[in-house]
Order: sequence, then structure tokens, then C-alpha cells
Amino acid sequence: MVAKKIRTIEEINEKIKKGDAVVVTAEEMKRLVEEKGVKVAAKEVDVVTTATFGAMCSSGAVINIGHADPPIKIHRAWMNNVEVSHPGAAVDLYIGATIMDEDRPFEYGGGHVIEELIRGKEVEFRATAYGTDCYPSTRVESTLTKDDMNQFYLLNFRNCYQRYNCAINSRDETIYTYMGKLLPHFGNATFSGAGELNPLCNDPDYETIGIGTRIFLGGARGYVIGEGTQHNPRNALGTIMVRGDCKKMAPEFIRGAAFTNYGTTLYVGIGIPIPILNEGLAEKTSVRDEEIYTNVIDYGVPRRDRPSLGRVSYRELKSGKITVGEREVKVSPLSSLKVAKRIADTLKGWIEDSAFYLTSPVEQLPGDTVFNPMRQVKEIPFVEDLARPATTCNEEETIEAVARRIIERSVNHIVVVDGSGYLKGIVTSWDITRAVANGRKELSEIITRRVVTATPNEPIDSASRKLTQHNISALPVVDSKGKVLGIITSEDLSRLIRG
Amino acid sequence: MTKILLKFSEELVDQPITSQIILDLRVPLNILNANVTPQGGEILADVPSKDVDRVVQAFRERGVVVAIQRGIEVDEERCIDCGACYSICPVDAISFKEDNSIAFDDERCISCGLCGDACPTRAIRV
Repeated sequence: MVAKKIRTIEEINEKIKKGDAVVVTAEEMKRLVEEKGVKVAAKEVDVVTTATFGAMCSSGAVINIGHADPPIKIHRAWMNNVEVSHPGAAVDLYIGATIMDEDRPFEYGGGHVIEELIRGKEVEFRATAYGTDCYPSTRVESTLTKDDMNQFYLLNFRNCYQRYNCAINSRDETIYTYMGKLLPHFGNATFSGAGELNPLCNDPDYETIGIGTRIFLGGARGYVIGEGTQHNPRNALGTIMVRGDCKKMAPEFIRGAAFTNYGTTLYVGIGIPIPILNEGLAEKTSVRDEEIYTNVIDYGVPRRDRPSLGRVSYRELKSGKITVGEREVKVSPLSSLKVAKRIADTLKGWIEDSAFYLTSPVEQLPGDTVFNPMRQVKEIPFVEDLARPATTCNEEETIEAVARRIIERSVNHIVVVDGSGYLKGIVTSWDITRAVANGRKELSEIITRRVVTATPNEPIDSASRKLTQHNISALPVVDSKGKVLGIITSEDLSRLIRG
Repeated sequence: MTKILLKFSEELVDQPITSQIILDLRVPLNILNANVTPQGGEILADVPSKDVDRVVQAFRERGVVVAIQRGIEVDEERCIDCGACYSICPVDAISFKEDNSIAFDDERCISCGLCGDACPTRAIRV
């Protein structure tokens, strides 16, 4: 059934021109519908402004820096020591938000370069090339500001996620992820997205948001240029691709950011006006946080399909605490609701001041595409493929007995278990040597009790990262309850690499 | 209460300076955070505000470097009020205000530093 039209975009634009348009923020719309109902709200309101301000890694900027003399066909280039990619002809470059400074990785990256340029700062630029008959230069160095660029456009492949996972960590160590810092043993949780303020949550059937929709982007006008990558409408996980003129943007709404041990990114402010063309849109823009759900996902599991530990609403997420199993867990937003609200207000002001007009999309966003996993043709090994039976002992044994076992089995690691085979600790041949040198007699004195472990379904790369991070040479393989299933050593891993 | 940060050099760590001062001055010090190795280290402690001067003087007389702590520093210009720090804080010193901005409670803060590397815009200095 097609919803009955109550006004057109042309009519709304006429009202904007006269300064008569009734514009409310998404927050105000929800209150209005609650007080007066959908029918009245649909009649009164012309436009609802929605917004989000979150970290968006698939962000970047296309720039054109003009030709040098003698000219150069750039092969590789850097801005403030961040490599910028060269996707096209001689002097077109793309600053990717996640590319990191080679000397300050994880602290400074493409997102910061974009922010500094928008702030009007100068960046150090250098480039190299192989040289051709038409482009003879092989090196160029300069300093550049945004005014030196012919084009400087934000071009983001994926933005404005309709909703996103809530992240939590079951491991016994802190992990650093694109969802921020996650404390061990479900110590905290994080979420992203603006919930009921998010543009796509307020237009979930993509009736008004489509290719060509004019939006607020980073403090300037921008456009939706299509669905974003990984657009997944069937699961209410829509995304959009956007473009906007960085030269007109404001650093208040575009921020370089660094997620410790994960990398750099860009916070992008997006505001989208939703024209209330029919009652259905008035109803949709009244959506509340308690109606928008997401899954609590265990990021402690280093796999594509991470286990879900439950469902939570954005109402619960925004309250600062969620319940996971029996536990109450503090939860951090990673998006800034404060800035999102400021964007919705700013966009509302622009429309009221006749400084921003609405557009009809020239094409709808797809509503039925799927987001498939990668086709992999080579099998990736997991810990269970490489693990071998562990040589074990119990805490009551003597150092001599353990030393003998190390020699008999020619191993370097003895896993200490209790009577039921649960992990109690680990002893290495080095521990035994040191015990002899220091005259220690009791095995219990030399057991390492905080043991870094692996699980059978863990990728080999993840196990290998743990060995390097902790500077150790073996990981007992345990099940979720801590029962020892085997052991994986650095020798097993190097054998795998040698083939 | 006032927080003081005590810095012990390698030469001082084998002396029971902190307990000696507690006994001498009969002032209860609450140790909030300690990281001391044989090479030296730091202790963060809460001291009743009325006794701060005496306690600080006593530590300094024994060669300990003392800094009076003011919790974490937040660069308001860099902070985007995202709240990534909020769930990390073990003592609930970080909260949200009505307008969704972040509030830091210096009184509660124990300067543990956990929030520092959780901040995406590096606005927090501990």
C-alpha cells in the first residue's frame, strides 16, 4: 500500500524559501508524537532532522594537488608521514582515515591529516615516482594547505550505520578493538550509533534517503551518493556512501581519532533531514530507543562469527548499564550523542534560515541486498589443527620428577593440572634450571599461575600474536571451563610457516 | 581528602618510609595505587586535607619527591563527549550530565590511568 501523500518536497522547499517550514529535531518529533499523536504531528511538521557523530573507519578524502613543474606521475605519497594512496592519474590522491603515520602508528593517521587540513593547518607533503617521458620527475616535496588543493572532498564508502553491535570481552585480558578498550571478564561494554536519532533508524525503508539526498556532512553540505559498503537492509543494518566538500567543513564535526592498539579513524558528523511526506514517515520518525535492539557480541572470540550473549535496546545502552547474564555491566557509547544533538539542531537552524533545501532522491537505496562473507579458497588453520597432547604434572610432584619428564618426553613445557585435568599453571624447562641454580626445592614455588591460553577454534594468527605479545613460547589449549585439551608451541607454529 | 603522589628513588625503596610516617604522625594514609619495584616507583595516596602539609613535609625530609595530585586533566577542546572513558573507570568518577556531556569527578578519581588509552581523541592526560 502506498502511503497517502500529505505534502511534496517541492512544497516543503517553497515553505523553506518563505521561512515558514516547520522543522523539528528527531528528539522533538518523538515528544510531539507522544503528546499529540501521529496524525497531528504529520500535519504540523514538515521536516525532522536526524543525526549521528561516530567513528567511521571507511572514511577518507579525495584530493587533487595540481601539477608540479617538471611534472610527476605520483607512485607513492605521504602527508605528515601518513601514506596517502594514489588511486588515479598523476596528482589525484586519497587520504584513508585508517592509514597510520609510519613513525607514530596507532596515534596519528589519515583521520588526523584530514582534520588538520580542515583546520587550515599546513601538512608536509612528499611523493616519489618512477619517471616517464611525459612525467619526468621522480621526487617532489612541499607543504600544502587546503587552499592549495584543487579538490578536497570527503568520500566515505560506509557511514551512518543504522545500528551496531554492543561489544564485550570474555577473555581474561584487556583487548583493544575497533569498539574501543574492552576490559577482561565482561568488565565493561561499548556500543556505537545514535539509536533513535540515527538517520536510517528514522527512515528504515529508505523512502526519503537515497542517491542524491542533500545532507549535513562535517559541518557543510554533502550528498548521499549511494548505499554504503556492507549495506545490509534485511537485518536493519543499512549504511550510506557520502561525499562532501572538506574545504567548507568544521573541525567541530570532523575529528581524527586513535583507538589504542587498533588504529586511527575519523569521527564524522552526519545530519539528514527527513521530509514528512506522509503519516507513515511521521510514525517512523517517532521511533524510540526501546524499539531499537542490537546484540551483545563477545569480541574476546577472534573469529568472524562471534557469539552473541543477548539482546539489548538502545534505551538500555544509553542508560549506561546493561545486564549480561547475571552481571550488570557499565557500557560506554563510542558515538557522541551530545554532538549528534548539536548537528540535528544546526541542520534545523539552516533549514529555518532558508539556507538548506531538501532534495528528492534520484534513485532509492537497495532494500534487499545481502552482505556476504569472503569466499576463501585456501583453508586457514586453527589451533586445534596444530595442537598436540600436553605433558602434564600435578602440584604435589617434586621438581626432580618434573625434570625427568621433561627429558623423557623431550618437551620444554609441563602443564600443571588438578585431578580432573583443569589448568593450574605451567612450568618450563627454564623454570627448572633456575630452581636448581637458586636452590629451590618445591615445585609450587616455581609454577607460573597466570597462564596465557588458547582455545581450539582460535585462529593460528591469534595464538601467534599472544606468544609475541607475552614473550612466551607455548600456550596450553583449554576449553571454556579451563580443562586442558593440549598444547601449542612456537615450534609448531614455525613448522607451519616452513610448510 | 587530598591526593598526593610519592616518587621513590632506587635508594629509598628498601626503607619503610611510608609506614614510618604513618606511625610518627599518626595520620591514616589510604594507598590508592602503588607501583614500586627495586628500581624505584610511585605511590598515590589519599591524605586528610588538614594533615597534607605535615605529611608532605615528612616525606620530603626523607628524600621522597611529592606532587599534590589533581586527578586527570581533560582537554575540553579535544574532548567530543563520546563517553568511551565512562565504562572503563573503576571508581565511577566519570558520568554523563543531563545534556550528554561527560563529567569528571576529581574527588573520586584515583589517577589509575585506565581511561587515558581509551580516549579516541587523546583528550585525557593522567
